Amino acid sequence: MSLVADLRAVLGSDRVHSHPLQVRVYNKDAGVTSGEVLAAVLPETTQEVAACMRVAKGHGVPVVPRGTGTGLAGGAVPVEPALLLVMTRLDPPWEVDHLSRCAWVGAGALNLDISRDLAHLGLHFAPDPSSQAACTIGGNVGTNAGGPHCLAEGLTVAHILGLEMVTADGDVVVLGGAAPDPVGLDLRGVVVGSEGTLGIVTRVLVKLTENPPAVRTLLMTFDEIEHAAATVSAVIAAGIIPAALELMDQAMVVAVERFLKADLPVEAAGILIAEVVGLDEAVAAEAAIIERIGREEGATSVRIAADEDERALLWRARKSAFGAVAQAAPNYYLHDTAVPRTALVDVIKKIYEIGDRYGVGMLNVYHAGDGNLHPLVAYDANEPGKAEQVKAAADEMVRVSIEAGGSLTGEHGVGLEKRDLMHLVFDPIDLDAQARLRGAFDPNGLLNPGKVLPRGSRCSEFGMLPEVGE
Amino acid sequence: MIRQELARLAGSLFADPIPDAPDAEFTIAPKTAEDAAAVLGFAATNGLRILFWGGGTHQAMGYRVEPDIIMSSAQLDAVADWQPEDLTVVVQPGVRVTDLEARLEQGNQTAVLPEDAGSATIGGVIAAGISGWRRLRYGPSRDRMLEVRLATGDGRLVRGGARLVKNVTGYDLPRLVAGSFGSLGMITEMCVKLWPSPARLAMVRVDDPERALARAYRPLALIETPAETVVYLAGSEQEIAAQVLRVGGEAESGHRWPEPLVGNTELILRVEPSATSMWAATMRKIDVDFQAAYGVGEIRFVADGIEPEELNRWRTSVERMGGAMVVSRVSDDFYLDPWGAAPTSVGLQRRVKAAFDPRRVANPGILPGGI
Amino acid sequence: MVPTQAQLDACVACGLCLPHCPTFRLTGDEVASPRGRVVAMGAVATGEIPSDDVYAGMLSFCLGCRACEAACPSLIPFGLMLEGSREQLARGDSSVEGKMRRLLVGRVLNMRWMLKMATLGIALLQRFRVVGLLPKRLRSIRGLRRQRLIASRSVQPAGDGSGSIALLTGCVMNEWFPEVHEATRGVLETAGFTVDAPPGQQCCGALAAHEGAGDAARRMAERNVAAFSGYDIVVADAAGCSAHLKEYGEWAEGGESVAGRTRDITEFVAELIADDKLPRSEETRGQVAVHDPCHLRHAQRIVAAPREIVRAAGYEPVEIDPDGLCCGAAGLYMVYQYETADQLGERKKSEIKATGTRLVVSANPGCEIQLRSHLDGDYTVLHPVELYWQSVR
Repeated sequence: MSLVADLRAVLGSDRVHSHPLQVRVYNKDAGVTSGEVLAAVLPETTQEVAACMRVAKGHGVPVVPRGTGTGLAGGAVPVEPALLLVMTRLDPPWEVDHLSRCAWVGAGALNLDISRDLAHLGLHFAPDPSSQAACTIGGNVGTNAGGPHCLAEGLTVAHILGLEMVTADGDVVVLGGAAPDPVGLDLRGVVVGSEGTLGIVTRVLVKLTENPPAVRTLLMTFDEIEHAAATVSAVIAAGIIPAALELMDQAMVVAVERFLKADLPVEAAGILIAEVVGLDEAVAAEAAIIERIGREEGATSVRIAADEDERALLWRARKSAFGAVAQAAPNYYLHDTAVPRTALVDVIKKIYEIGDRYGVGMLNVYHAGDGNLHPLVAYDANEPGKAEQVKAAADEMVRVSIEAGGSLTGEHGVGLEKRDLMHLVFDPIDLDAQARLRGAFDPNGLLNPGKVLPRGSRCSEFGMLPEVGE
Repeated sequence: MIRQELARLAGSLFADPIPDAPDAEFTIAPKTAEDAAAVLGFAATNGLRILFWGGGTHQAMGYRVEPDIIMSSAQLDAVADWQPEDLTVVVQPGVRVTDLEARLEQGNQTAVLPEDAGSATIGGVIAAGISGWRRLRYGPSRDRMLEVRLATGDGRLVRGGARLVKNVTGYDLPRLVAGSFGSLGMITEMCVKLWPSPARLAMVRVDDPERALARAYRPLALIETPAETVVYLAGSEQEIAAQVLRVGGEAESGHRWPEPLVGNTELILRVEPSATSMWAATMRKIDVDFQAAYGVGEIRFVADGIEPEELNRWRTSVERMGGAMVVSRVSDDFYLDPWGAAPTSVGLQRRVKAAFDPRRVANPGILPGGI
Repeated sequence: MVPTQAQLDACVACGLCLPHCPTFRLTGDEVASPRGRVVAMGAVATGEIPSDDVYAGMLSFCLGCRACEAACPSLIPFGLMLEGSREQLARGDSSVEGKMRRLLVGRVLNMRWMLKMATLGIALLQRFRVVGLLPKRLRSIRGLRRQRLIASRSVQPAGDGSGSIALLTGCVMNEWFPEVHEATRGVLETAGFTVDAPPGQQCCGALAAHEGAGDAARRMAERNVAAFSGYDIVVADAAGCSAHLKEYGEWAEGGESVAGRTRDITEFVAELIADDKLPRSEETRGQVAVHDPCHLRHAQRIVAAPREIVRAAGYEPVEIDPDGLCCGAAGLYMVYQYETADQLGERKKSEIKATGTRLVVSANPGCEIQLRSHLDGDYTVLHPVELYWQSVR
């Protein structure tokens, strides 16, 4: 039987898409690459996922998992023609353990829904990528998603207690759980951030964080970006780890203002959004320190959000950055690199300089507290030679980041986008070790092939892994 | 023959046998990562087994390893690169936890490593997955791992992660190595994430731990022992005052952590956090010395005097709920499986082990499932 | 020709529209998402993919609620693009059902005698209690108000152009919801306006536009542009109509002018209350659940106004749904896609039930029908202006 027929035998016809228009709609995520989808299936249960995996394995067809397709690194885009496992329907009723502060949710649950629907328990899910209203927890696990509040709370991996996963063989394993320190090798840490290459995560035990009693959100404006970056360093040096420290440059603020019309300070060279959470007393004191430091470093204005509405507006401004840019030009390239915080000012300067040199306009937003940079280039691919200039500028920006002690990606993942740059940060032995780790999970190379590791990461002389008999 | 070859390769690294360590033909203390890798590679080629040794504080955990070589981290004891402004520090595994924390404290920073570390090394506590009391607030010690350099079981020097607080480039080897009990190889260097030290420390004794846990906002720890239940707080003076108001009771300045348990057999229950109270009550009822960490789900207790059948019943009961009962140390005269039931992912774990240590050199058999 | 290449290119596939789309929420399927539909429109426009049944199915499954527009940072005019694509599909559609539907929305809605006959039929069905026996598709008839057998209260055309406000009397509004017009007129007259129902006006053409009956929609728009000329303000008390009037620039010459002069009754009355031109009730009367019609909330971004009117009427507005997900009415959708409409209707019913209140306001007739057909007889559904009129007159 054909692949599609076998899949229909498992899921019925409605949840197996193979019509050219249907697969066309699934051939890209929110990034810039597209691929070939043989069929897109929408399983509803872990068993169905396992059955689809076995069908794919039987046909030797690669499998690419997909959430809502908001990823930017091409993680959900097939490199070679593949079966797309759409995980959005893996959303059974949640099992919430209020006292243990955790909940089992399906991989298809939306990130923001978790926080919204558990607000009445005084709990939320801390990782808050800008796409949180649309992205799935499964996707967050795949990329080890970040977001502004990861500065104090850590990336997604720090909030995952357990995973239920379908392996490359079509078996189901459970890693971890609500009890601390699972016995044996802790595989949760490698599966989170593995971008669908080690298994298909079907359920997730998320750690829930207490909603803080008080929040203060500050908006500071600066005449020079360097002053804003210096403020960030000084705040950390003062022993404060704010809940978030986000920097946006003028070009970005202007674009967002066009969309939101929220009276944002479009004359500032850069703005810093700082947020502190905790007890009222702590929050007031920390906000005061941050304000003092900001002024010492040259802030031209400091404003504290007066109420929840104003705070929500500031965050809306920050999180609309990516989309607002879409109005600026038909095409865009969103960078994501991470550098040591101390290198931030220097790297920012170099990035502007690269932009000037290649004649590419940039809008910038940074998770400044973490040293995570998101230069965003808006351009028109129809302009002759522009796309090449943008790519060349992008490569140079990555190199500059690495030279400053940084790495390829702070939160979006390697995917396809940065796969061929892995050799800039890892030597062949490192890449081989990662390839062997991957081979332990997926000996046949059917799980999202072509992602994360460049071709030829496995040193050919090592061959297949010996089985550990016992 | 092998002895001669090894002497030729690593003679300058030979060290005196370590007291308390199992008998082994050789005791080697590499000075560099390359040394470690060379010895591991040699062992892999010649079918030798290696047991890694740090401060010797957690060697009683796990299945017995019968090593040919004891590899000590004593000479890998440098603090290589402390970047306070980036909140990172690069250390070698042999650095003592107490030494590192003392040094970091001078810069008002902490790596939030186990508080009663004794002679424990950072390599040891990370490899053994030991997290300390403050994990309720800061997360387990694996959350501190940013980058690792590992000499694998077959002698490769592998790096994973990066010296950055935020990074998702490639697979998270630092996290995999945490809690791996040396089964993948020897950590030769690691970069860990730091936190600023809080301005003030305080403790409040309470009567009702669950109520206190619900009332306190992100305390560092909430620990019950037979003598008392204490909420551990940190922050500015005003913050602490506010916290104390919420929790109720009187505050005492500073942190006094529970003394290490005294007994021949010390076991650790790992349960879902909401079950902590039930287990603490069980311990209290039968008059057992224990330390229960609320909000975490870890209960350490002295098992001397508890019937093995009872302990096995407890173990079965917690395993059914997805938890475990593991041995921290056990007296020689009774046998209790150090780990309990092997996890269902053991097949995958074996393959991961084989990816790093195909010849089963590194602490072979220490983890469940023959890993 | 809509959708234009620029409109299609504007989508950067960020996916922020997805969680706001009811069909995506129900299915988790990109094929049933705004982003997917934009991709499909683009692929068909370039000829990459043929315009076939699968494509038609994708577009007809869309509710046209435009919640995606409100969430789109690239400001993509999805509603207009959908209408344009449906019109293109309609041109190639010779099916009997398609032709009947377009006839219904393009012609029948303007035939008063046909509407009156339908009203009589419905009134009889209601009295003989056989509404429950209707085929599933027509169950929405259950949601209609009780219709009179004789002596209709619909608004007769009147006005010589001297009135300050032109009221769009509309097609089904006038026949099946004349009380809303009465309230509208009453409230506006209280504020000192004179209200004309200009003769020569027609159905606004919204349903025709949504169905792809483009020529009919253009024809109706032209007639209405003429009928409303000379009035400073054009008021519609059905959100679907006011939303469509505000887009008349796309449908007729001179339409831009009507668009600029159009107000939905809720935004207008809220302004009048804020300016103290209309009274506020002193009483506290209890809670009212506020339902946001898609064409009010998403298409016109009017959210606060109905709530302010409820408050001014002496009630406390209660929220049903933070996302404003479509109730499933969507014009004829509740007839032709009744299974999906049913799912959404049930969802909305649960949300309303959860509020504990029995009073619901909705500023659109289609929504009112859908809500009433899912809620049981204990609930009262009316237009916010009706509620206000009842409490301050």
